[in-house]
Amino acid sequence: MAKKLLRINMSNQSFDYEDLPPAWAKWGGRGLTSTIIANEVEPTCHPLGPNNKFVIAPGWVSGTPAAPSSGRTSFGGKSPLTGTIKESNSGGLSSQKIAKLGLAAIIIEGTPPAGTWYTLVITKDGVTFEDADELMGKGMYEVDELLWERYPNQPAVIGIGPVGEKKLSNAGVSINDPENKPGRYAGRGGLGAVMGARGVKAIVVDDTGGPGVDIADPDLFKQGRVKLRDAIMEHDLTKPEGGLNAYGTNVLMNIINEAGGLPTRNFSAGQFEGAAQISGEMVAEMVEERGGEGMTGHACHPGCIIKCSNIYPDKEGEAIVSVVEYETAWALGANCGIDDLDYVAEMTYQCNDLGLDTIEAGNTIAIAMEGGAIDFGDKKAALGMFDEIRSMSPLGRILGQGVEATAKAFGVHRVPTVKGQSMPAYEPRAIKGIGVTYATSTMGADHTAGYTIAPEIAGVGGDVDALSNEGKADLSLTFQAATAFIDSTGYCLFIAFPILDIESGWAGMAESVAGVTGMDITGEDVISLGKEILRVEREFNQQAGFTAQDDRLPEFMLYEKLPPHNEVWSISDQELDEVYAWVNGQ
Amino acid sequence: MPTVNVTLYGDIAQYAGGNHIATLNLDLPEGAVVEDLLKKISLPPEERGYLFINAVLFDAPGLYASQDETLHDQDHIGIFSTRHMWPYQYRDGIHLSNSLKDALREKGPIHNTYRSFNL
Repeated sequence: MAKKLLRINMSNQSFDYEDLPPAWAKWGGRGLTSTIIANEVEPTCHPLGPNNKFVIAPGWVSGTPAAPSSGRTSFGGKSPLTGTIKESNSGGLSSQKIAKLGLAAIIIEGTPPAGTWYTLVITKDGVTFEDADELMGKGMYEVDELLWERYPNQPAVIGIGPVGEKKLSNAGVSINDPENKPGRYAGRGGLGAVMGARGVKAIVVDDTGGPGVDIADPDLFKQGRVKLRDAIMEHDLTKPEGGLNAYGTNVLMNIINEAGGLPTRNFSAGQFEGAAQISGEMVAEMVEERGGEGMTGHACHPGCIIKCSNIYPDKEGEAIVSVVEYETAWALGANCGIDDLDYVAEMTYQCNDLGLDTIEAGNTIAIAMEGGAIDFGDKKAALGMFDEIRSMSPLGRILGQGVEATAKAFGVHRVPTVKGQSMPAYEPRAIKGIGVTYATSTMGADHTAGYTIAPEIAGVGGDVDALSNEGKADLSLTFQAATAFIDSTGYCLFIAFPILDIESGWAGMAESVAGVTGMDITGEDVISLGKEILRVEREFNQQAGFTAQDDRLPEFMLYEKLPPHNEVWSISDQELDEVYAWVNGQ
Repeated sequence: MPTVNVTLYGDIAQYAGGNHIATLNLDLPEGAVVEDLLKKISLPPEERGYLFINAVLFDAPGLYASQDETLHDQDHIGIFSTRHMWPYQYRDGIHLSNSLKDALREKGPIHNTYRSFNL
C-alpha cells in the first residue's frame, strides 16, 4: 500500500487521507516537509498566523525492520525565530510509529477558535480530537506520563510545553523517548510555537494494527542495511564502546576547547577553563561514581545501535535528565561561564519540561549575563531564569523569545545569530569552515546543516586544499547537500562517520533507501538529490524576502579578536555568495 | 628544565592515574620532544589520537607528525584517545602545526583516522 498523506484541519477538527502527489512521492523526512511547506505555505505569511502549516514526516527507511539507527522524525514549517523555512528533526518514538501507520507525512493546518486546545490521537482508524484543557500549562514530563496512563500501547507523544502554548519563538517540539521522558527535541527554530498556533498541545501516535512500511525491493534493502549496520558496528566512533557510545556527543567538549574554538561567555573567548568539568568524560565519571539510574550508551529511539545518549544522575543516583549532550552542556555551561554539571543537568531538565531548545536557551541566558541581568558563572541565578519563564513574567516572556529579542531588551550588541537563530557550540572565527555553513544555511546558524562528508569521498570539491580558506564554498555546499539527503532518510546523522570512512557503508545507505522506495539511486546520487532539497528551501527563503545580505555572520565577529588565537572572521562575502549562486543560475 | 602541563582524555587517562580524564605537570629534560613525553608517561603511540600543544593541533589519529616537536616550559599538551570523534566541518579551518600541514598534504585532508595508512 502506497504511503498516504494525513491532512488534519484544526479549523473544523476534520481529517482526510490523500495520495501523495507524484512530484512529492520520492521524498521523505526533510525533503518532504520542505517540499510541502514550499508548495502549500505562502512564504510571506506570519509564522504564527492561520496560513502557516505544521508538517511531520518520518524518513524513507523509518519503520522498516532492522534498518539501524533510523528513528528520526522531521518537523517543518515557517519558523517564527528565523522567518525562513525550517526543518528540525529528532529521535524518540514518533518516526517509526508514524511510518508504520502507512503515513508519509502529517499536515496540520487551520486554526481552532481562540482558547481551544486539542490532543490529537492518531491510530490506524483515523484521528480523534480530544479536549486538551487538562494538559494546559503542564510541563512535558507530566504530559508524557498522563498520556501514557490514558492511552494504551505506549504510544509516541509529540508535545509542546508552556513556552509553545504561549507561542514564544524558542519553543521546541518534544518527542518522548523509550522511557517516556521528553528528552528528544526538534528544538531549533521555534516549531513548538507553530504547533501551538494550530491549537495542538499534544499528538498521540499509536501504530497498533497499522499496515507497516512497504519495501519495494526486499533483497536490495537487506543488502544495504546489512552493509550500513556492519559499517556502524565496525567504526571506532560508532561501534559498541566506541567514542559516541562511551562519551556521547559531548566527547567534543574538550577537543573543541583544546582547539580554541569553544564559544565562551557569550562568544567572547575560544577557551573555557572549566570545559573538562562539563565534558562527556566527566559525565562518564559521574555515571560510574554515582551509579543508580545513571547510564551512558543510552538509545534515544528503538533500533538505535550507536546509543550516544545518556541519563545523568544526581548524587543519590536518581536520574536528573536525559540527555546531557554536547551543544546543551556547552550552551548552558561554557557559554554562560558555568562549570557545574549538576546545574547544567538541572537547566536541561527545565528546558525539556518547559519546551525550550537548549541551544537557544543557553545563548539567551548568556545574552542576559552580557546585558548585566545576572553575572557570568552565577549558576543559581541562571537556573532561576527558568522560573521567570515558567511564571511567564515579562522577563520570562522575553527570554522565551530567544537571543535576538533578549539582546534588544538588554542593549547587547554581541549577538551570535544568523537569520535570527543563535549559533551552536563551534566558534566560526576559529573554525572557519563551519562559519560558511552558519552564514549560508537555509535554516539560520545550524551546526547540523553541513555535516561531515569529507571532500574526497563526496566527490565534489575533491581538489580543494583543506589547509586554505579557498574553496570552502564548494565544501560547505557539498556538506549541506549531503546533510539534506541524510535528513530525508530517517537515519541518524551520526551514520556520517562510518559512511565516510567505510566505502561499503556509503553504498549501503543509498541501497537501503533504494530498496525501500524503489528509487533507482546509488551513492552517486546523494549530492544531487540533496541539492534538490536545498533549492526548494532556498527559493522559499528568497520569496520570503531573504537575500545574499542575510548570508552573513554578525558584525562583531569581523572586528572582535577571539582569544587565544586572536582571529576575526575572514571569509569574504564573495566566497559566501558562491555557495548558493547555482540556485539562481549564476 | 621545562615543566609542561598534560591532560589525557578518554581511556588513556589511565596512564596518568585517571579513569576518563587526568591532568599532570611534568618536568622534562631540556630539548625534550613529544616522543619523550609519551615515553615518560608510558603512552603507546598507537593509542594516541588528536594531540594539541597550546591550542594548535599537532597530530591526528594514525599520524605521527608531532613526534619530533620540541616542548617548552609552560606548554599545555592535550592528548585524546583514538575513540574521540571530530567531524570534519568542526575542524575545518583550525590552527594546525607546520609539521601536521606537511603530513596532511602527503596523506590528504583529515579523516577520522589515518590508521590504515600505517598498517
